[in-house]
Amino acid sequence: MRTLWAASARHLLRHPAQLALALVGLALGVGTITAVDIATASSGRAFELSMEAVNGAATHQITGGPAGLDERIYTQLRVQTWAAASEARPVLAPVVEGYISVGDRTMQLIGVDPFASAALAGPGLFRGDEANAAVPARGGADTEQRQNNGAATSARDVAAANPRLDDGAALSAPVRGGDETEAPPVSGASGGSGGIAQLRRWFTQPGAVVLAPTAAAQLGVAADQTFTLDIAGRSHTATVLTVIAEERVGYDTLVLTDIAQAQEWFGLQGRLSHIDIQVPDNAAGEATLARIRKALPPDAELRDSRGRAQQNLDMTSAFTTNLQAMSLLALLVSVFLIYSAISFAVVQRRKIIGILRALGATRGEVLRIVLVEATLLGLLGAGIGLLLGLVIGRELVVLVSRTINDLYFVVSVREVALPASAIIKAVLAGLGTTLVAAALPAIEVAGSAPQLGMRRSVLELRATYVARWLLIVSAACIVTSGVILWFSARSLLAGFAALFLLLLGVAAFTPALLRWLAQSSARWIGHSSPIMRLALGDVAASLSRTGVAVAALGMAIAAMIGVSVMVESFRESLREYLARTLQADIYVSAPGPGFGRPERRIEPEVLASLLATPGVRDYSTSRRVSTESADGPLPVDALKFPSSAQPTVPLIEGEPEVVWPAVERGAIIVSEPLAWHRQLHVGDVLTLKTAEGLQTFNIAGVYREYGNDRGNIIMNGAIYREKWRDDSISGLGIYLDAGARPADVIARLQTSIAGRQALNMRSNAEIRELSMSVFENTFVITKVLYWLAAGVAAIGLISALLAWELERSRELAIVRSLGLTPRGTGLLIEAQTGFMGLVAMLAAVPAGVLTALLLINVINRRAFGWQIDLYLHAAQFGNALLLALSAALVAGVYPAWRAARASLASDMRDE
Amino acid sequence: MNELVLRQVCRSFREGGREHRVLDHADAQFAQGEAVAVIGRSGSGKSTLLNVVSGIDHVDSGVITFGGREINTLREPARTLFRRQHVGFVYQFFNLVPTLDVEENVRLVLELNGVRGAEARRRSVAMLEEVGLGSRLRSAVDTLSGGEQQRVAIARALVHEPGLLLADEPTGNLDEETSRQVLPLLLDLTRKRGATLLIVTHDRTLAARLDRTLEMRDGRLVESLPA
Repeated sequence: MRTLWAASARHLLRHPAQLALALVGLALGVGTITAVDIATASSGRAFELSMEAVNGAATHQITGGPAGLDERIYTQLRVQTWAAASEARPVLAPVVEGYISVGDRTMQLIGVDPFASAALAGPGLFRGDEANAAVPARGGADTEQRQNNGAATSARDVAAANPRLDDGAALSAPVRGGDETEAPPVSGASGGSGGIAQLRRWFTQPGAVVLAPTAAAQLGVAADQTFTLDIAGRSHTATVLTVIAEERVGYDTLVLTDIAQAQEWFGLQGRLSHIDIQVPDNAAGEATLARIRKALPPDAELRDSRGRAQQNLDMTSAFTTNLQAMSLLALLVSVFLIYSAISFAVVQRRKIIGILRALGATRGEVLRIVLVEATLLGLLGAGIGLLLGLVIGRELVVLVSRTINDLYFVVSVREVALPASAIIKAVLAGLGTTLVAAALPAIEVAGSAPQLGMRRSVLELRATYVARWLLIVSAACIVTSGVILWFSARSLLAGFAALFLLLLGVAAFTPALLRWLAQSSARWIGHSSPIMRLALGDVAASLSRTGVAVAALGMAIAAMIGVSVMVESFRESLREYLARTLQADIYVSAPGPGFGRPERRIEPEVLASLLATPGVRDYSTSRRVSTESADGPLPVDALKFPSSAQPTVPLIEGEPEVVWPAVERGAIIVSEPLAWHRQLHVGDVLTLKTAEGLQTFNIAGVYREYGNDRGNIIMNGAIYREKWRDDSISGLGIYLDAGARPADVIARLQTSIAGRQALNMRSNAEIRELSMSVFENTFVITKVLYWLAAGVAAIGLISALLAWELERSRELAIVRSLGLTPRGTGLLIEAQTGFMGLVAMLAAVPAGVLTALLLINVINRRAFGWQIDLYLHAAQFGNALLLALSAALVAGVYPAWRAARASLASDMRDE
Repeated sequence: MNELVLRQVCRSFREGGREHRVLDHADAQFAQGEAVAVIGRSGSGKSTLLNVVSGIDHVDSGVITFGGREINTLREPARTLFRRQHVGFVYQFFNLVPTLDVEENVRLVLELNGVRGAEARRRSVAMLEEVGLGSRLRSAVDTLSGGEQQRVAIARALVHEPGLLLADEPTGNLDEETSRQVLPLLLDLTRKRGATLLIVTHDRTLAARLDRTLEMRDGRLVESLPA
């Protein structure tokens, strides 16, 4: 049967450009979803790895509020006696951690007590194997000694007096627990004295840090070299004590130092960020945890480590869901275009298939051939798409991680992860689409009687019939979309389902619209130009070819308009919001990575100098921290409003004259996203973990906010200081004397604090600009996906129209033989493709506005909780119009050129 | 005996809401090896006759048997299998597969009938030599002249030794000179193989060269007397 297969396959090979375009469309569609999967998976994986690297084998954590934990909690737990029979002795390790900037890199500084951390912290960094241990681990006796002395203050003494530690290579030493610590040391090549010296330096040398090889290489430092790290605008000198031998994913962004050093750098003397705990997963472990929980002061909380990491990852779920939806949109567009391209390839072979059927090839044989071909094409396209996805994914990772850093948590992605699920999804998408695309026309053609298979008019008759039916399908899709919206009050998934149904509705409606418009225009224009009548009549009469391509383009353009209007509306809403809320003349903040990180504070003496600067009339302060609630961390803005101005926070629930006095008295206002996600309203309460334990706060109002989609709380600064015992200030809004120029005052402010703390100082205009640029950054990825979808649409349209026009070469030759000039032939073709672009645009404009309304009022609302006002400008439609028309016209260029130059004699031959 | 019999065959088509009966209780009998011309006006149902006989199309009522086997009751894929084994087709516009070369076009039918490899190649080459195209085996079909293309079509129609050869205006697309070469070839090869030949044609001269002529009139087949 080789010949039968060859008869069909050679058709594809004889149309390499068409085959290539179909593959490009398929590969772009698959590539886009793969790229988004890679970007989100890589960010998530990087975060997990960094959590793993920091948490190590810890099963639980004790955390405090923004001011951290009192380190005495750790001491108390260490000296605790545990019931041998019913409780498991927990492994405990104190940690002080925060984010630092080294040049333009963001890294995590981890302050550890190596003696305590060896058993559970960072796998390998302090773990008990000789090859990996970077710093000595604890021995039984030392541990007891440290327990009595407290976590950090005694570390240097303990280490200096630790004679049993072996140096091994560099700073590494064997780590043993219990009795093994009494065993003779395992000597490394360098003998024992070097290790002890290194150990002494770890504890005694100011600024001593340990790095993993990649981190050291990226910072360009080696052992004994120094580098500068910045924490909230203060610079510190760090000395690389050693570069550990082992490299693991997640270590490359870590800087390790002694816990006392970290406390000093972060200004957390006597405080800890958290205490890592490891207990066995059994009844004894549970009993231990219960005891610990009972012993904790009100501001401390015992949490499951994995659950904590998951909570952080969950923060990004709306963001990643939206990304995935955008990629699915690209796939949906590509599904149509792949369908268009592949089905076209099948449809073009109707005659061959008809001949084969007449010669005796069964329906099954014909179907098998087409489907096997489609499978191979689908696999090839999916393979290319996967590779393309890897390339695009590498670029998207940067954009995704930048957005996550801006909005959620600090993550540094070094490795690109390609999850198995992404591969499966890509292959299924590519293969499934191609098979469906090929199967439908193949079933139709194989199912037809052979003589019908050879007759194109039958196909076109059926296409017209199908187009009429699709009108009903379109109405059904749009009605179903409305019903889903009506009955799914909050489900994001249902919102996306409604959006996709709306787009499908547009696609289903387009072929009938195309036919009607083409026929009407042909009648109307035909009076003055027979050629135009011919051109437009052909479009209507070739619905099997033109319908799917125009439907796909219409849907893609509708999606483009929708996204464009949504982004522009968001931009304008944000601009208005900023203009209303940013009233201070100058904004000062402690620099550094991370949203609501406690280490980002303005030093008190620096604050005093700033406020004493000439030109400063009034000020507001804010402390932005993350607090704990029953449902995970919640950002809090503790504000002191300026005495001379009314708060400018835009309230959407609650009256200002009631809200602000209530906030003065201790009530809070919640942001719109928080109110949406947790269904909060004025009069409800929210329970937060304060230094005094869990406390409920009355909600006095709901305010508009676009800063973060998890939600935000505003409370009075004085109340916050009292409840959380945190006097720190993260930011300052400065109101100037009348006539004072912001630039002059900024210069004076900088002089007043020179050499003490490098703070960000920006004028009102600059901070608005910065906010807008963060917004733009956040939407870069949306734009990338938008253009990818547009690219898929353009390539698909070009592919389909090109194939259609080339197929008509005989018809065109006949018209030419009747006297149409080459130029006229070119114009005829361009008129056809341009007309189709125009029809796609006509269908897409109202659908695009509907899509925008859905994106704004349903998708954004359900995913992020905020309301955006609709802004419509002609410019928002410009890109889409340009794409539709240029793709359509480009599609006509080659056939026009070819038709004008082709040999009439050869084109007019039937075979 | 591979006798072809049509009894009370009816076939109608709907056109613009009107039913058009193309075959109206048509009766005919064709002996094995007989060469019969079917003539008639355009649209009289000549091509429909070939389609129902070959199983490409179905009948509304009536019986068609070939070699004693009832064709009209066959369902897919049995109808296709019958066609591939027992029927050869020659069309006015050749209907060669443009993506296959000359030899492959002929071999295709053998392969569909289960003849594979060297045997299929040997037989297709032999058949092409018989029609005088031994030197054009690897040529693309669209490079051949009309007469050559029709000879490929004849080779393809006969290579699997069918009992029934159906030709729809086989010389309709050829000039007179070429027709004069192609028609004897078709008749000779068919007779040599003992196949029954049905030729649909407008050409009464061509019809006169066959054993007998039937005329399609008002949906029925009637004997046409020599002019």
